[in-house]
Amino acid sequence: MNLHASIGYKMIRQWLSEKGFSPFAFQEETWEAIANGESGLVNAPTGFGKTFSVFLGALINFINDNPKDYAKQSKNGLQLLWVTPLRALAKDIGRAMEEVLAETGIQWQVGIRNGDTPVAERQRQKRHMPEVLIITPESLHLLLAQKGYKENLQTLRIIAVDEWHELLGSKRGVQVELAISHIVPLLTNKRFSLFAISATIGNLLQAKEVLLAPIGTEGRIITAKVHKPMEVKSIFPDEIEKYPWSGHLGLKLVDKIIPIIRQSTTTLVFINTRGMTERWYQAILQAAPELAGAIALHHGSIEQDLRVWVEEALHSAKLKAVVCTASLDLGVDFRPVETVIQVGSPKGVARFLQRAGRSGHQPGATSRIYFLPTHSLELVEAAALQQAIDEGIIESREPMLLCFDVLVQWLCTLAVSDGFTATELLQEIKSTYCFREMSMEEWQQIVQFVTSGGKALQQYDDFRKVDLQDGIYRITGRRMAMRHRMHIGTIVSDAMLKVKFISGGYIGVIEEYFISRLLPGDVFTLAGKNLELVMIKDMTVLVRKSSAKKSIVPSWNGGRMPLSANLGHLLRQQFNDAGNPLPGRPELVLLKPLFDLQAAISHVPRANELLIEQIETKDGFHLFVYPFEGRLVHEAMAAILAYRISKIRPITFSFAMNDYGFELLSDQPIPVDDSNVYELFSTDNLFTDIQRSVNSTEMARRKFRDISVIGGLVFQGYPGEHKKARHLQSSASLLFNVFQQYDPDNLLMRQAFQEVFAQQMEETRLRDMLERIQQSHIVLMFPDQLTPFCFPVKVDSMRENLSSEQLEDRIKKMQLQLSK
Amino acid sequence: MKPPFSFSIAKQQLWLSPMKAVFWEESKSLILSDLHFGKTGHFRKAGIAVPQHIYRNDLQRLFELVQYFQPKKLIIVGDFFHSEMNKEADLFAKWRNDLPHLAIELIRGNHDILNDEWYSQNDIGLHESTYQEGPFCFIHESPQDVETEEGLYYLSGHIHPGVRIHGAGRQSLRVPCFYFDQQFAILPAFSEFTGMAIIEPSRAARVFAIANQEILTLQ
Repeated sequence: MNLHASIGYKMIRQWLSEKGFSPFAFQEETWEAIANGESGLVNAPTGFGKTFSVFLGALINFINDNPKDYAKQSKNGLQLLWVTPLRALAKDIGRAMEEVLAETGIQWQVGIRNGDTPVAERQRQKRHMPEVLIITPESLHLLLAQKGYKENLQTLRIIAVDEWHELLGSKRGVQVELAISHIVPLLTNKRFSLFAISATIGNLLQAKEVLLAPIGTEGRIITAKVHKPMEVKSIFPDEIEKYPWSGHLGLKLVDKIIPIIRQSTTTLVFINTRGMTERWYQAILQAAPELAGAIALHHGSIEQDLRVWVEEALHSAKLKAVVCTASLDLGVDFRPVETVIQVGSPKGVARFLQRAGRSGHQPGATSRIYFLPTHSLELVEAAALQQAIDEGIIESREPMLLCFDVLVQWLCTLAVSDGFTATELLQEIKSTYCFREMSMEEWQQIVQFVTSGGKALQQYDDFRKVDLQDGIYRITGRRMAMRHRMHIGTIVSDAMLKVKFISGGYIGVIEEYFISRLLPGDVFTLAGKNLELVMIKDMTVLVRKSSAKKSIVPSWNGGRMPLSANLGHLLRQQFNDAGNPLPGRPELVLLKPLFDLQAAISHVPRANELLIEQIETKDGFHLFVYPFEGRLVHEAMAAILAYRISKIRPITFSFAMNDYGFELLSDQPIPVDDSNVYELFSTDNLFTDIQRSVNSTEMARRKFRDISVIGGLVFQGYPGEHKKARHLQSSASLLFNVFQQYDPDNLLMRQAFQEVFAQQMEETRLRDMLERIQQSHIVLMFPDQLTPFCFPVKVDSMRENLSSEQLEDRIKKMQLQLSK
Repeated sequence: MKPPFSFSIAKQQLWLSPMKAVFWEESKSLILSDLHFGKTGHFRKAGIAVPQHIYRNDLQRLFELVQYFQPKKLIIVGDFFHSEMNKEADLFAKWRNDLPHLAIELIRGNHDILNDEWYSQNDIGLHESTYQEGPFCFIHESPQDVETEEGLYYLSGHIHPGVRIHGAGRQSLRVPCFYFDQQFAILPAFSEFTGMAIIEPSRAARVFAIANQEILTLQ
């Protein structure tokens, strides 16, 4: 159809010109695609009208279909389903949509549905669906777990998946794929559009292919051509410490960011962990007490209302600064934000760009991002990031494949509502990108898992979950159904306890394992407040305000991203110039003393070299290796190397790693020298060596934690009424042990190992790394003392074990230490 | 089966088995703790598909111990059956029928919530808080929390004890253990389908770790 001649287009154009706007080319292109019933992916950065590309397209479509009475038509049924990863986004997007509807006189309702939506509102939606529903992937699945969902969805014309780049590569993305595969066959109107909205990532084509797989069309990519210049400015310490130690340097630089905060309308300070945001918040207040009331904290453990308040205050420029984690990575733009400060490594180019893009909204203005290192070596990353931006290098997000845990959950979700038939559902599932390679045998195992609980001694078994009645699979037990609905979702967190003042007043939530280590009277920090633990009662931590100077800052699990391959590559290149830095690279100039020391006692590796250091200390014999490939790849490499060395002679290692390198530590000399070093880094037998290195089991155990919860094996209890879950508690770790012993071929177990190989070890990346090492020059050094490179690995790292000695021998060698 | 480990306390001869049981020679009793029978069934009934073979294997292990030591009775210091009734109890009942001459004394643990009839039907002597025999007093939860009688040595369970062992090169390991303090002992959980609580041994205690079917003296 001719878009420009259509009445809908003219209407919307006119409305825009009344407001003094004219559409971007990519918006018109999207409108046209929607008018033609096409699907695809809109690639546009936040803040450039991406919402209006799809939303106005939906309105134009509606006006064209009802040219005479579009302004009178109400109760049209669901027209547009807007999937968004973040609850916080829903409100802002809904508000923007409602404004348009009010001004154009279209009688659509906008509904929001997520974990915060009250029950009454949800029931109202069930009786009378709004035309636009803004929903999270979890709530979408919950909607499909309700009886009679089909009628409510039939009228749908457009599905938009916002921030698809965030969902892709996670199990939430798989949830979206499955939901779409199930909804599309229900639709009565065959002129239907499915659109992803995504920021720039390395694999946009694939991103489109993943989302569109269930509808079987090619689709198109519509790109917003906007250029935003960007500049990275490092914050330099006055003195370069030659022994860098993570976390140590950062806070010392707090005085340097105060002037930056003062000069800007609003500053966002991005910090990698929730624990450190609390510390930074305190440190900024101490350094500049007059900022009290004008700075705020924002992270995932802070009470929802407070977070919403912070977001509102950001919109209205009431705040000078917000100290935040990735919790503010996504979403609508806060116009008043002028400056962004990144504390510590952002770990990847894409993430860094996204954060930088949060500042400088005037057209043509340069986005400026300050980089504040937490240890001096991180300054090299600043140089690498600038290079990445100049050269337009950006990471891909790999979609997840064969997530059986999500599939188990999905079968139960559909069994809870209207049930499913095996042949139809199999066809839908096979249409998704995630499960297109699933074998018949795997499918049968999954069905068997939910119907008869896998292999069992039939005679003495009471397994019950999904029943087959007249060809339809259903969950009939009410309690079972209720329990399943409460567990829908793929974001697994530790058991969280609410934190409240004893006098009343909610502060936030905190991980159970953290609080379990504290005693009444201990003081900890949450939401910027020092709180004294009074007692724990009914899953609630009761506290009172404390004026204690010292407090314990919770260390939250998770959220530690590894360095991306792209950034690692750029980082290695930086060292080429380290000894002789160009004047254009101030970071490297400043770091010269550190590199000089490193060169004097050891060696500074060039891009085509791999440095290995062997050092003896009172802790034992250390072997340090620096591939700069990110923590996860290092963890795998450490395990494999340890395994290969342990084949030379019985030896036990503990190992440690960070994003730059890893360490093997033993109580005896480590037999690595010129004669065997290339062999130790060979790609031969890589796969078998991975499997044999004890560590893959330990890694799989960690992966199994999430898988067992998503797959419904770990019952987390009902919120606030944990007693009813009596005798059903077990840890994922225990389940892992028993499955490994009694049912190692279980699909969820296989998935745990598969996830380890694909994501944790990044097997392809590991192989690439070993091939690169084979081509490069290995430099083996024996320094007399710890070097600047090894120091951060040694002090700031996670530890693992690998042993080729007998368990009994090890224990006999160890001495029992009284814990703590 | 690996040979048991000799250990005496309160002038009694005990044999510690790496299969997580203690044979008390003077009384010809096999002492066990935290069997959690029927736990897999309880989970499966709730739709949680844990492998049922764990239970069968535990039962098999108990049978082997009975064959090996030929005890006159079993003394179970609590948490014998995991939760409410399920079909796995029938499997136990079948097993029980084959060993009619074996006495079973159970000290009720927090998990033992079946109705009293079931215990009497299966010829299990049920003791509400303690059971005393010779110099030993058997109790489920820690005797440190109750008033103890002078001159008795207490044997308890409940917490599923384990120890963390550290070594050079910052190695660390968690294993189940037998724990004998001066006034009381804590026995390891018999069931394979149980977790562990890491304990902090007192200086005077004897600690025996269980690793790969062997008993190792730690202190």
